[in-house]
Amino acid sequence: MTLKIAIFSFAHMHAQSYAAAIAANSGAALVGVWDADAARGQAMADLYKTTFYASERELLAQGLDGAVVASENVHHRRLVEMAAEAGVKAILCEKPLATTVANARAMVDYCAARNVKLATAFPCRYSPAFQSLLQKVQSGAVGKVLAIRGANRGKAPGGWFVDKALSGGGAVLDHTVHAADLNWLLLGRNAAEVYAEIGSEFQHAACEDTGFLTINYDGGVFATLDTSWSRPKNYPTWGDVTIQVVGTEGVIDADLFAQNLVCYDGAAGTASWSNWGSGTDTEMIADFLRLTAGEDTPRLATGEDGLRAVQIALTAYESAAMGQPVPVAAAAMRD
Amino acid sequence: MTYRVALIGAGTMGDVHARHWNAMPGAEIVGVLDPRADAARAAGPAFADWDTLISQSKPDIVDICTPTPFHREYVEKAAAAGKAIFVEKPLSRSIEDCDAMLAAVEKAGVPAMSGHVLRYFPEFAAAKRAVDAGTVGKPITIRTARMAGFPDLGGRPNWYADPAQSGGLVLDMILHDFDWLRWTFGPVTRVFAKGLYGQEEYFGDLDYALVTLRFASGAVGHVTGSWAHPGGFRTTLEIAGDAGLIEHDSDRSAPLSAMLKTKGGAGGVAVPESPMAPTEDPYYQELAAFVHALQNNLPPPVTLQDAREATRIALAALESIETGKSVTLS
Repeated sequence: MTLKIAIFSFAHMHAQSYAAAIAANSGAALVGVWDADAARGQAMADLYKTTFYASERELLAQGLDGAVVASENVHHRRLVEMAAEAGVKAILCEKPLATTVANARAMVDYCAARNVKLATAFPCRYSPAFQSLLQKVQSGAVGKVLAIRGANRGKAPGGWFVDKALSGGGAVLDHTVHAADLNWLLLGRNAAEVYAEIGSEFQHAACEDTGFLTINYDGGVFATLDTSWSRPKNYPTWGDVTIQVVGTEGVIDADLFAQNLVCYDGAAGTASWSNWGSGTDTEMIADFLRLTAGEDTPRLATGEDGLRAVQIALTAYESAAMGQPVPVAAAAMRD
Repeated sequence: MTYRVALIGAGTMGDVHARHWNAMPGAEIVGVLDPRADAARAAGPAFADWDTLISQSKPDIVDICTPTPFHREYVEKAAAAGKAIFVEKPLSRSIEDCDAMLAAVEKAGVPAMSGHVLRYFPEFAAAKRAVDAGTVGKPITIRTARMAGFPDLGGRPNWYADPAQSGGLVLDMILHDFDWLRWTFGPVTRVFAKGLYGQEEYFGDLDYALVTLRFASGAVGHVTGSWAHPGGFRTTLEIAGDAGLIEHDSDRSAPLSAMLKTKGGAGGVAVPESPMAPTEDPYYQELAAFVHALQNNLPPPVTLQDAREATRIALAALESIETGKSVTLS
């Protein structure tokens, strides 16, 4: 049987990679796309040889098995709940799951009440370098884990990413969730407290572009995380995801996007890195299709995983405003 | 004239200094004080006590390379004796001691310099020049990392393992970063840190700290200090500004890397090397800069006040580790 999948919004550029992965998967069909931007939606429908629907409801009436939501962050909840209401079996929602803890919690509960499986798009989980790191840490290669130093930086995005009304936040919300999720896998512990220094001096925009978090985990492990949009325009690649795990028996450094060719384009006068590492979206989409088919997908991030990461990111804003660490649960309750 | 140097402490750093003093035109080691007579003799003419050292060797410069807890005593003695003072970092474990040393030096009116040698490391000196030249525009995020194994004194009593004496890597090692950061990016206003300092089950064999700094300029700094990296030594530096980025990684800039067969036939370990011309060695450079300042009657390029300010940042980081709160510096 072929799973019928639809994509709701291409506002987030990752949607294109998901569309390609769905289209390439022999067990699934991309039966339609919806987008609030009709021109973009039609162009994407043409590109991936599917049908554009100007109405979400009309697309949801096509007997979908699964839905992918990749809209602007503030619309995640509405689209996820609409898809769940329509009776899809599974939903993959782009990160961050939501822009408030209350909304993220509501989405998780809404789906659970209707027996719809909610997944969060955390593709870094599928990085072979991260998987190897995780396996080594879990097998005790570094002994007892004491600290983690993470970084997920990028170039400044534009468009709705820097419009708080649509994104809910800047670099901190955008990048914290990835790294917080990887820490969760490495540690299996909840964050107890978050401290953050935040700034907006790279772009001088309303949205923060600088984020340095310190996260204290239950059991005393500490971690820092640089989420800044600090890569200049001519940086040879989009950004990075790096993790240093420090334990009683040693240290492992992971650089998830290190597998690059260095390319010097004489005509353009530029140098760039061309990544030849394994893409992560194909495996994540394959897992999402398994989830849609009712199979177990232990690697795929759940809605709860997405919620946990959002909680940490939002606590960072509270801490930055206060200049002191803030307990994660306390921040969540104030939401 | 030839500057006559008395070396106090012939341990790891004293040995390095002795080598450079001996290579420097216009300077000579005239006396060494160290409770380990063999070590003292290896570095120069050995003396049994301070008074004999001063009266017989008649030094112009007293170079203090003792463990941190002895700095104040020798700075005060050297100042009272009217000698020019070079004192290793960290200046002290406490601000009270720092202030006492500053007062002693001021009262005696002697020139004094502190060994914040990172300013003379060519990659850090070059990065400072690039920042000053506006290469990155306004600096906004700065990251440094200094990663090594736990200090090994080869069987001698390891004072590094006693947090009360050494202050761990926050006070002993990444103090270098704090000084260089303050020198390059200006005053620090807030410090938040996590680390293994004070965790008895690990400290002594491991230390690791992650320190976040807020500068008066609005920039944010992040310093990694590790004595948890078995073998090897690595530093990284990154300065991101609103008009550019500077990156440095010692692992990626070593011009030499040897991988040799071991005697048993097992695989060797790659040993990278980043050599500098003898007179561009950072330790030579800092001592030469002190001599240059003395010769030209200029203020020493790294003052004890600078050392006090770097210490204040390090102590704030230790306080943050202990209290779990951020520490505001006025």
